[in-house]
Amino acid sequence: MFWEQLLNGLTLGSTYALIALGYTMVYGIIQLINFAHGEIYMFGAFVGLFLVSVAGVNIFIALLGAMAFCMVLGMLVEKVAYRPLRGKSTRLSALISAIGVSIFLSTLMALIRGTNTTRYPEVMQIHTYNLGLIEISSLQLIILLVSAFLMVGLQMMVQRTTIGKAMRACSQDLEASYLMGINVNRVISFTFAIGSALAAAGGVMVGLYYNAVWPYMGMMAGLKAFAAAVLGGIGSIPGAMIGGVTLGVLEIFGVAYLSSSYKDAIAFAVLILVLIIRPQGIMGQKISKKV
Amino acid sequence: MKFQGKAKWVLLLCFVMMFSLLAGCGGSNDKTSSGGDDQETIKLGFLGALTGSVANYGIPGKKGMEMAIDELNDQGGILGKKVEGVYEDNKGDNSEIANIAMKYITRDKVVAMVGDPCTGLTKTAAKIAQDNQMVIFSSGATGDGVVEIGDYVFRNTLLDIYAVPAVVDWMMNDKGWKNFAVITSLDNGYSTALTPVFKQVIDEKGGKIVLEDSVNDGETDFTAQVTKLKKANADVLVFTGYYTEAALILNEAQKKNLDITLVGGDGLYGQDLAKLGKSAVEEKVIFYCGFSSDEPGAETAKFLENYRNRYKEDPDMFSAQYYDAVMILAKAMIEANSTDPKVYKDELAQLKDYPGVSGNTTFRADREPIKSPVCLITIRDGKFALVDTLPVHE
Repeated sequence: MFWEQLLNGLTLGSTYALIALGYTMVYGIIQLINFAHGEIYMFGAFVGLFLVSVAGVNIFIALLGAMAFCMVLGMLVEKVAYRPLRGKSTRLSALISAIGVSIFLSTLMALIRGTNTTRYPEVMQIHTYNLGLIEISSLQLIILLVSAFLMVGLQMMVQRTTIGKAMRACSQDLEASYLMGINVNRVISFTFAIGSALAAAGGVMVGLYYNAVWPYMGMMAGLKAFAAAVLGGIGSIPGAMIGGVTLGVLEIFGVAYLSSSYKDAIAFAVLILVLIIRPQGIMGQKISKKV
Repeated sequence: MKFQGKAKWVLLLCFVMMFSLLAGCGGSNDKTSSGGDDQETIKLGFLGALTGSVANYGIPGKKGMEMAIDELNDQGGILGKKVEGVYEDNKGDNSEIANIAMKYITRDKVVAMVGDPCTGLTKTAAKIAQDNQMVIFSSGATGDGVVEIGDYVFRNTLLDIYAVPAVVDWMMNDKGWKNFAVITSLDNGYSTALTPVFKQVIDEKGGKIVLEDSVNDGETDFTAQVTKLKKANADVLVFTGYYTEAALILNEAQKKNLDITLVGGDGLYGQDLAKLGKSAVEEKVIFYCGFSSDEPGAETAKFLENYRNRYKEDPDMFSAQYYDAVMILAKAMIEANSTDPKVYKDELAQLKDYPGVSGNTTFRADREPIKSPVCLITIRDGKFALVDTLPVHE
């Protein structure tokens, strides 16, 4: 049972990781906790649902479609709700603005779709493979593979491409990057787009995996992913991946070996412990501030 | 002290608002206590969720209530006065229902509140109703500690303490299931109250509980619980929560190739059960309740026909119980010749062998309803279907 529960944990954790990446990337560059990120994930799930059930497209095309839609949505949110505040007001105002966007998006979806849970249609035959120690379903396999692919792709992009270099530069010093001729606004927009696309991918896969989407699903998932990002070290991309997977596994083990009531308690107790011992998170870098 | 001037105004405004509130309360209390007798129309307040996670109970309930009110008005209303329903959506939320109950009592001046279908929410509203001497008639609260709140609190639903022994008997003797897994939804008052009832009865009848586990309402990840369940070798899964989580648990079981039947209470009675569960819930879920649209008696058949004509869909237990609740209230008011809750509540408490559309109802001396029979319902071809009816022994 241990291995099967570990697999359950890894699957759940990789969806947390996909959402956590968006938090961590945005925080890395503009030190903003984008609380609307969970709602982007929710929108991704619903756009995917729409594409599969109404437009009737293949699930992988629906996944790409949801990612594209949320890219635009993410950039739009940044442009409308954060950019006008940047530089002119305190960081706190941007945070409040983010909470506002979060509430706006979830209630908007509740108005459109109603608050009931909706089922994702069956889009594929689910096979189960017996690997001796564990049974793995094709759905779990897809989630793990797609998440891994997206995360490796992201890491490659950040490390190997020019825009990735610009992102890293911005995360080190926004003003200096601007002075060096980097189009900072464009880099920030791009960061929001990429983060939102990853969240949308997470949303579609979660909808598919648990067969259920509803307008307020982003709230809790967003909080968990934020915790995962902090656990891994906020601002660090590998940290978000590790943080997400760790949190997922911890939660599942909490249910498996203790009780459902301890699920969140255990996950967040570990979070607190890590932050006491290592305030910068698992992969975070210590920033020494000059006083 | 820059704000002093402003603060004074704010303070003044607060006082004005508080006084107007107090005045409002006082005035309305006077009116309720003088009884609704001098009003033009008789108002009934609807308690139930029209949106949110328990909307599947409230929406059909509202339809049943509307139909009952229209039928009453066609027959000339209650004591010559027109009946009017007031419908607010409490979203399944405890603070919402408290606000709505206060609004019904103080502003709308209703003569009775009908609902809520959930035990926890009913208790919240019942305390307010009792304090304000207003009759509340729940059409779905099955847990304990409801009518104990006071003599203005009524309900007409099949109680868990009567239904569960019959259902456990059926599982052990008719089905031969001896090993039980029990899953509770921890943040659900209905579920945490129903689980001990099941556990006690299973124990008494010599069944074995091989796994006890829990979930939370609103969660979607049940992989860990289902993995445990698969290893537990239970004959049947007793789940005491609501329909959404039940459907998702069975979805997960199907994905993990676990073939098990889920048995529960009327918390599973929601159209979304079939919509969310699809093939995973087909003949895989059985729940008990006090109403089935299959094999109806004469009263029920007439109700079914009218309901289908009006709404182009089948009624469920909640539509039937809200309908009955309105009719029972009307009967009590007519027999007491008063719409004052203080007067007609005593008449209401005398109800005996009322042939409602949701079965026969009698109120015991402590106002607890006795309803018979217990209907066992499953899902066949995406619709609720009757499996069996069991007699209730007091």
